[in-house]
Amino acid sequence: MKRFPIPQGTLDMLILQIVSLEPLHGYGIAQRVDQISRSVVQVNQGSLYPALHRLELKGWLKSEWKESETGREAKFYSLTASGRKQLAAEKHSWARLADAVRLIFDEGAR
Amino acid sequence: MITQLVNWFRRKKLETGLERELRYHLDRRITDLESSGLPTGEARRQAFMELGGIAQIEEEVRDIWLTRWLRDFAYDFRLSVRSFLRIPSFSITAVLSLVLGIGATTAIYSLVDQVLLHALPVRQPERLVLIDWRGDQVANGFGSWNLMSYPICRDLDKQKDFFEGVFCRALTTVNLSTGGDYRPAAAEIVSTNYFEVLGVGPAVGRVLANDDDATPNANPVAVVSYDFWETQLRGAPDVVGRKVLVNRHPLTIIGVAASTFKGIDVGQVPSIWIPASMSTQAIPGFKGLLDHRTRWMQVLGRLNQGVKVQEAEAGLQPWFKAMLQEDMRRAGFPVITPERRREFLNSSLVLTAAPQGHSSLRRRLLEPLWVLFAVTALLLGLACLNVSGLFLARGSARDREIGTRLALGASRGRLARQLLAESLLIAFVGGLLGIAVAPVAVRTLIAFLPPGTAPTALHVGVDSRLLLFAFIASVAAGLLSGLAPAWQAGRRSLMSSLRERGGTAFGGVRLRKVIVTAQMALTLTLVVGAALFLRTLDALMAKGPGFITSSLVSFGIDSQRSGYSTSEGNRLLRRIDAAIRQSPITEASAIAQFPLLTGGSWNDPMTILAEKRISTDRDVNLNSVTPGFFQTLGIKIIEGRNFDERDAPAPGEQGWRSAIVNEAFVKRYLGGRSPLGLRICEGSGPDAKPNIEIVGVMSNFSYRGLREDSEQAYFPFFEGEDAGGTFYVRVRGTPQSFLPSLRDIVHSADPTLPMTDFRTVDEQVDRSLNSEHMLATLSGSFSILALLLSLVGLYGVMSFVVTQRTREIGIRLALGATRRSAIWLVLRDALAMLLSGIGIGLPFVWALGRLVESQLYDVKPSDPAVIATTILVLCSAGLGATLIPAHRASCVNPTDALRVE
Repeated sequence: MKRFPIPQGTLDMLILQIVSLEPLHGYGIAQRVDQISRSVVQVNQGSLYPALHRLELKGWLKSEWKESETGREAKFYSLTASGRKQLAAEKHSWARLADAVRLIFDEGAR
Repeated sequence: MITQLVNWFRRKKLETGLERELRYHLDRRITDLESSGLPTGEARRQAFMELGGIAQIEEEVRDIWLTRWLRDFAYDFRLSVRSFLRIPSFSITAVLSLVLGIGATTAIYSLVDQVLLHALPVRQPERLVLIDWRGDQVANGFGSWNLMSYPICRDLDKQKDFFEGVFCRALTTVNLSTGGDYRPAAAEIVSTNYFEVLGVGPAVGRVLANDDDATPNANPVAVVSYDFWETQLRGAPDVVGRKVLVNRHPLTIIGVAASTFKGIDVGQVPSIWIPASMSTQAIPGFKGLLDHRTRWMQVLGRLNQGVKVQEAEAGLQPWFKAMLQEDMRRAGFPVITPERRREFLNSSLVLTAAPQGHSSLRRRLLEPLWVLFAVTALLLGLACLNVSGLFLARGSARDREIGTRLALGASRGRLARQLLAESLLIAFVGGLLGIAVAPVAVRTLIAFLPPGTAPTALHVGVDSRLLLFAFIASVAAGLLSGLAPAWQAGRRSLMSSLRERGGTAFGGVRLRKVIVTAQMALTLTLVVGAALFLRTLDALMAKGPGFITSSLVSFGIDSQRSGYSTSEGNRLLRRIDAAIRQSPITEASAIAQFPLLTGGSWNDPMTILAEKRISTDRDVNLNSVTPGFFQTLGIKIIEGRNFDERDAPAPGEQGWRSAIVNEAFVKRYLGGRSPLGLRICEGSGPDAKPNIEIVGVMSNFSYRGLREDSEQAYFPFFEGEDAGGTFYVRVRGTPQSFLPSLRDIVHSADPTLPMTDFRTVDEQVDRSLNSEHMLATLSGSFSILALLLSLVGLYGVMSFVVTQRTREIGIRLALGATRRSAIWLVLRDALAMLLSGIGIGLPFVWALGRLVESQLYDVKPSDPAVIATTILVLCSAGLGATLIPAHRASCVNPTDALRVE
């Protein structure tokens, strides 16, 4: 199956979703993204870090330096309250868009 | 936005954080790839490849931290600093121009702010209003301006529909002692609700409370100022309950006012507040407290929350009209003509917002300060234009650099912004240094202020308002100086600037010429202004006061404030006068009841009985003097005689028998015919009885100040009439050395009697001209600076033109043009700029003339001689500055010039 490039703005949503499960460092997020991208979409790892910093500046993510599973200090990102709200909002609008798209296709199939 | 600014300051930390984060990612990835079987080198390569360019990621993240423009600005800023450090002479000239402009403007603004704009440090000053009477009050009075009686203040205080409270105050000088010597001190006589209405509390003890006013004369208390408490009472903690002596009457101190409060007059800081009920003690002989027809206090009120000034003004009129009717029926209301009665009944109350209180200093300085502020603003504009010109000149030297940057893809906007950043940087450095020099400048300015301004009234420090002003001035200056260069950078043709060789670039010469032209226009305005003020000062000095001032000294004595009764005091004064006249150091001596050249006078309308009764149409300035007065001051008696023993009142007789009027009086009211034998009196009503005979005519001389040529009438100062006055003594030799001898004479009459305002009359003349001095000196120096700045600008642009046209001039000379025509070529250019600058400047001159007209004396703002001279000076100075480049043009060697190519 051919992988298609990730749609504009979806990366932010993806990151928020991944971090919402548990606090994670950049590499961990990259691996998760990779798992997903291997199957469906293609993410350029280079755009991951600018996205993380942008989300942090917006106040949706917060970060702290903690010991990671390998014993080295890593920067862990976690979701803030407003990040959680943002994620919910994005999920909601995404669902509406998807519904709308499905309706359009259903219309054509009839 | 804020976060991003904060990020700018912790960018070092962010950088290391990001680096650690990326390193962690790479290390983990390499380890993972190695454990999946890749060789070390290959794992590294793949890890880096997956991540993409590390530098690029870092760059992108930095953009997020700081936003694009902030980073660009930081780079622009750094580049600017470097380029300024490379050409220090340029930067120093530019910064100095702006220091001058911003420093001067800030200093003047400091005074404008303190004297004209600053609200009183009281509760909600914006609700304060000054209440004044428009129309004829049919009242006698004394004091400065906006005066009303004490009873009307008490009545206004009851108008609770509009006012939270209404208080009144009068400023006076008392002889004050805390146990030792008596010293003259400024005192404010106030209604007892003064502090309550203003919302000023005590620092120690309590302030006056409303009940302190209950019984006149029986309320011997006072509040002292914080400053007085600290300096005169050495901050004694047990100050409450102590006694101070006010004109020898003991008053008990009940408290010290809050430290920030310095009265409601910015120029006059009272040492002590005395309740109005004690006015007889504070102003000896005063009995008008409860009189409706004595106007001597300013009345101010605090409007109720939400009540507008106009509403209160309109709402008060019905009550006020009823009060006028009631006033007319009151016992003691003078008999007046029907015409005057109509004027009285047509009076109205006028309310004006008074968040800054009431100040005669403000009234006097209002116009001079705004004029000076306008002048410095022009100077600042000129300095900005100068910096603009400098930037353009440097811009042409940097032409290739800028051309190359454009060619490499820099946007024009980006380049213009870079140039603006440079001018803003220069302006901020100029602004900072300007703030540093401002206190010195303010101190110099304060020396020019009218005498009698309390030394503690104004401060020289830099406060937040001043900083804000300097900041705004700097930003404006930066934008103004950067605008032309930035615009020039924006429209530069890339092709031509790359094609041209270094040194021959176009370089915005036309724009620079426009700038120099504008500078000439501003300079013309400033120089004409300065010339007008100099002419005014000169005319006033040349005119003089109309009497001989050399070796003349004056000092005041007020015996009533030292506890003398009128007749005792009068005897004391005459004893002192006799002693001074007998002293070997004096040539002549006299007493005048009111001092000359202080801005004030005793004045009243008069009635003259000639063939018919004549009422003067304006106040006549009055005084009473001893017979020696005219001889002492060198004033001529033109007609009739001086006062002598014949003018002394008979025993039991009231008032004066005779008067001497001046020439202006005769000219205005009698058409120049002899007034001798005619009878006059004070007052203009039908009840006025002209029974004082005119016995002489004196030459005109200045009474209030040098500007006025008013009508005057003088009465004899004789036994029993007055207990205070100003001595005029003509000494043999230099006046200053005689203070000790004169003091000895006064002290031998009464050792505790204070002498006030001891000074030479020359000094008094200077003091009376202080605002003229201030305007002439400051506008004179500013216009010289302006001239220098614009000459530098003209010289700069003409030198550049000559360099640029060297080749053309060379060709002309080679083709047979004369050297003289080469000089003319350059001069013509300069002349065009000068003349168009003058053409543009003339309307500004006209506008400035309108602004300063009231400050001038004996010269019209459109005086052709002044304007012509200024134009001549400007043109010759301008052509002088052009001569050097013109000479260089004439020395061009055609062979060399052509070889430059």
